[in-house]
Amino acid sequence: MNDIESKLRTEARNLLEQGKVNAIIGFAPGSLKFTTTPLITGDKEDTDRLVINPFIANNLSVFLHEIEGPVGIVAKGCDARSIVSLIQDNQLAREDVFILGIPCPGVIDLRKVEKLVGRDRDEIDDITRDNDRVTVAVGGENKEFSITEVLRDDCLSCESPAPKEYDLLLGEDNVVVGDRELSRSHIRELESLPPAERWEFWKNEFSRCIRCYACRQVCPACFCERCFVEESEPQWISPLPRWQDNLVFQATRVIHVAGRCVDCGECERACPVNIPLRSLTGKMDEIVEELFGYKAGTDKDAPPLMTAYVPEEAEDFIR
Amino acid sequence: MYRRKRKILSGDNMKKIKKKDIGKLLSKWQADFTVFTPSRATGVARMEEWDGKDTDFLTWYRNTVIPPKNNILPNMEAMFRFQKDEAGYQLEPVTPEQKQIIFGIRPCDARALTIIDMVFKDTYEDRYYLTRRQNTVLVGLGCTNPYESCFCTSLGIHPAQSADVDLMLTDIGNELLIEEITDKGKELLGKSSGLTDASSNDEDSAKQSRETAYQKVTRKLDTTGIADKLQASFEDKDFWEKVAAKCITCGICTFLCPTCYCFDINDEISKGSGARFRNWDSCSFSLYTKMPAENPREEKWQRVRQKVCHKYEFYPRLFDTIACTGCGRCIRFCPVNWDITQTLESVPEHSAV
Repeated sequence: MNDIESKLRTEARNLLEQGKVNAIIGFAPGSLKFTTTPLITGDKEDTDRLVINPFIANNLSVFLHEIEGPVGIVAKGCDARSIVSLIQDNQLAREDVFILGIPCPGVIDLRKVEKLVGRDRDEIDDITRDNDRVTVAVGGENKEFSITEVLRDDCLSCESPAPKEYDLLLGEDNVVVGDRELSRSHIRELESLPPAERWEFWKNEFSRCIRCYACRQVCPACFCERCFVEESEPQWISPLPRWQDNLVFQATRVIHVAGRCVDCGECERACPVNIPLRSLTGKMDEIVEELFGYKAGTDKDAPPLMTAYVPEEAEDFIR
Repeated sequence: MYRRKRKILSGDNMKKIKKKDIGKLLSKWQADFTVFTPSRATGVARMEEWDGKDTDFLTWYRNTVIPPKNNILPNMEAMFRFQKDEAGYQLEPVTPEQKQIIFGIRPCDARALTIIDMVFKDTYEDRYYLTRRQNTVLVGLGCTNPYESCFCTSLGIHPAQSADVDLMLTDIGNELLIEEITDKGKELLGKSSGLTDASSNDEDSAKQSRETAYQKVTRKLDTTGIADKLQASFEDKDFWEKVAAKCITCGICTFLCPTCYCFDINDEISKGSGARFRNWDSCSFSLYTKMPAENPREEKWQRVRQKVCHKYEFYPRLFDTIACTGCGRCIRFCPVNWDITQTLESVPEHSAV
């Protein structure tokens, strides 16, 4: 057990014992290798199961709307930005959440590790990290990688691994080990394609979408009580999983989370058919920043991007 | 109609084929069938129409992400087409006529088809499903390397043996041993080439290979009395709320489940003509049970309970079998690591109702 973990367990227990929160949302060990699983509990004994390790993948803020506050929540930098964004959108009151901030060292991308070692995750014996080196034990061999080879793409472009908004920060702020360029290389690659080829690319990707809506369900920014895909009078898009409708669903989802998406990368990780969704949300985030100088979830007092009007932004046709 | 008769064949009748000759065999079969094999060509592992050359799957394939139910109950299919004229709507039926071979189906996924056959040929005979089923030859391939999430042996399924297929193959190193299971399989063997007689040594290797695979399935689930326990716990809201807390109610577990068969029906119409389609649906979605007046499963704990009880309580009562084959997809692909084996193991003991 590391320092942060033991500190977290103590603090979480205290919060419950003192009645400061109704529940704690954190990570517990998962049932498969190299996984963690969300732990949502009001039982102080459960706090002994809280863990912090390189596999704390979920953005736990997605659960906040389901639990009567106040709630204590374990938050990485990106998760805390989601919480701030939810506060901006009036989905959450600041006093209803106690943020247990984790200076996040980055989450390891198991798909990348699998690719690097040519084995599935359950065939790997161990993954250990020592600062900027990661050792993967597989088939009786130790393979060494640089941390930038195995971190999730969204972590590589993370600017604040430790939350800026928190009630308690469990540990020192980290140095950013990222590689923004590497993290955005797929976006650059797509941009370099002629539009017809780019269209072909996405057509192909969305042909295998099965409309499980995992991308939407893991996303804290997708907080609509009723999603447009579920509208039946009139029907906006067909529920049949054709590439055209799949693409319209995703394109609309991406635009709906503009100014709310914090690039936590969960949509892409959750996708069971490997659609590189972050290349859409990431591009959208870049556009939002470029056009509006806005970064989602960085200022809880700022008006939300899509609901605030600033005359300078007006296009000629509105003026 | 689909009940398998398992034949015990003597060693003299057993055939085998060299792995390097599989391509030739599939080519030969392609003359009469559309052949589906494990493929990653589309970016996700699933049973795809064979491209006429790639047999790499013999090395990488453990199981597909999209279950082979997709080849019998596709995620979307046209049921009939319609056109409007002066006399009214003219219907044109759609019948799935393609003769197909699914090569490499795993015992768990083959059992899953046997399980859902029961519902599709119950009081109402579903001709789309049944026609496709009839037109399909299943060539099973025993597992050699089950996943950490696999628990088939707890559901009475052997990872490398199956009576739910037409032909069963066992990996014996450079070759595959071929076992004839049904008449359909026998017929297909008659149309095959490149086969040689298997020796009793080959059979011993196959036995060894099967045993090794069986031992590799380490995840265990005790299903004793599970239907009764679930029935007694049905109203235990606290338990179900606790179990469901981390579920995000996406459709991964149900869509990737080889025994989940629910579908939705949608018409597509443009200028008087169109088609009626059906597509996969999921009890995880709140819309699934939404009706004009109410939604009986508005809360997510009710939906999670439905999924678990359908497989482990209702199905056993209706058809005398658990509707789960321990393929582990719902565990492996769940974004929050919601694990059905943990849920089932934590069902509280209530006195029988």
